[in-house]
Amino acid sequence: MKFFFIYKTLAHPELVGNYVQPITLDERLGHAKQAQKQLGATIPWIVDAMDNRLKHALGDRPNSEFIIDPKGKVVRKRAWSFPAQVRKDLEALVGKVDRVTKDEDIKLALELPLKVPAERGVVPRLKRPRMQALVMEPQLEKKGQPFYAKLRAEADVGLLKTGEGKLYLGFHLDPFHNAHWNNLTTPLKYKLELPEGVKIEKATGEATKLKVTSDVAPREFLLDVGSWPADQPLTVTVTYAACVGDLACYTVTQSYVLRRKRDIDGGGARSEGGGLWDTEEFTRQSLAGDKDGDGKLSKSEVRGLILPHFERLDVDHDGYLEAAELKELVRWLNTHHVPGVPEQPKK
Amino acid sequence: MRYFSQFGLGLLVATLLSGPQLALAQKEKKDEDFLVEKPAVGEMLPDVNVYNPDGKEFKTADLRGHYTVLTFGCLT
Repeated sequence: MKFFFIYKTLAHPELVGNYVQPITLDERLGHAKQAQKQLGATIPWIVDAMDNRLKHALGDRPNSEFIIDPKGKVVRKRAWSFPAQVRKDLEALVGKVDRVTKDEDIKLALELPLKVPAERGVVPRLKRPRMQALVMEPQLEKKGQPFYAKLRAEADVGLLKTGEGKLYLGFHLDPFHNAHWNNLTTPLKYKLELPEGVKIEKATGEATKLKVTSDVAPREFLLDVGSWPADQPLTVTVTYAACVGDLACYTVTQSYVLRRKRDIDGGGARSEGGGLWDTEEFTRQSLAGDKDGDGKLSKSEVRGLILPHFERLDVDHDGYLEAAELKELVRWLNTHHVPGVPEQPKK
Repeated sequence: MRYFSQFGLGLLVATLLSGPQLALAQKEKKDEDFLVEKPAVGEMLPDVNVYNPDGKEFKTADLRGHYTVLTFGCLT
């Protein structure tokens, strides 16, 4: 019997650790190693290729689960991982186990995400609700600098469907490169090359000059697009100054080709800019798991992020999570996006 | 080895998603659709090249020989 996690493209960039989508295999391998460290477990990770071939071949879900028999045949599949059911499946397939493995046997952990080298919250975030990631191709150069900052491009529904609407360009420092903006020099600038027929209000832009010498807040722009034919890719070129740790500072110019097409592998951002959790909606959706209809959640009714924190979130220790306790979880989730170390739930 | 954890796997996987995210995503694509998509139960796992975290490339067909549980996840 073997277990593997498959490391795939980020489901929610910027969430818990401000991680951004990797653009090279080396960067994705770094993510997988960080996942091993941050989430623990002796269960090994398999890393999907950068074209996301395994994700595509297996149904494009963020947390799906498959059981494969020794000949390579799929014998169970489900859209969402459900460990208790996996156990039942395996008992049906191979019989009961002699000894049930405990959590401590597989060294589960919930470590903090990577630390960032400077303050994050010094620039107000742009709101971009319901915007979706666009397909883009970073123009990698063989001996070029790493993409310390990575473009996150999103479009609203109007832009995706008709070519007219809002375009979000966010340049996010990648925590894996330990880089921070060098604010002592010219702020980040972008330039869009617009093919014929494309009308965008601000084809060039510059980030606001800041007083702090360094920070890691994303540099964001929200552009009005009057016309963007779907068959006309744009080129975005960005120039920025970044320092890596305390060691060296660089000014780099990097480009992306941007397409008016939704990136099914782009994930959904859940940052401050992408929208914080709404307390009422979160509570309503969480209580959808209240199978016995008593208005509160027992541990057996809980799935997802709540589960590992159940005892800590159950502040009155009655064995149930009530609406008030779920609201506390929302506060905790939303503070994950604040600079520095994420707060832990109240004990 | 026929040892596996009832909850351990869940604890780890549970850090990878949240309930509301799950519910929102379900609206986009229903779970029952997933079950009939390829590979359906009874079909072979597609053979594609993947990597271990050290960058060593291998084929998913190399996983044959054991009952194997595969679970997708990521840092966020």
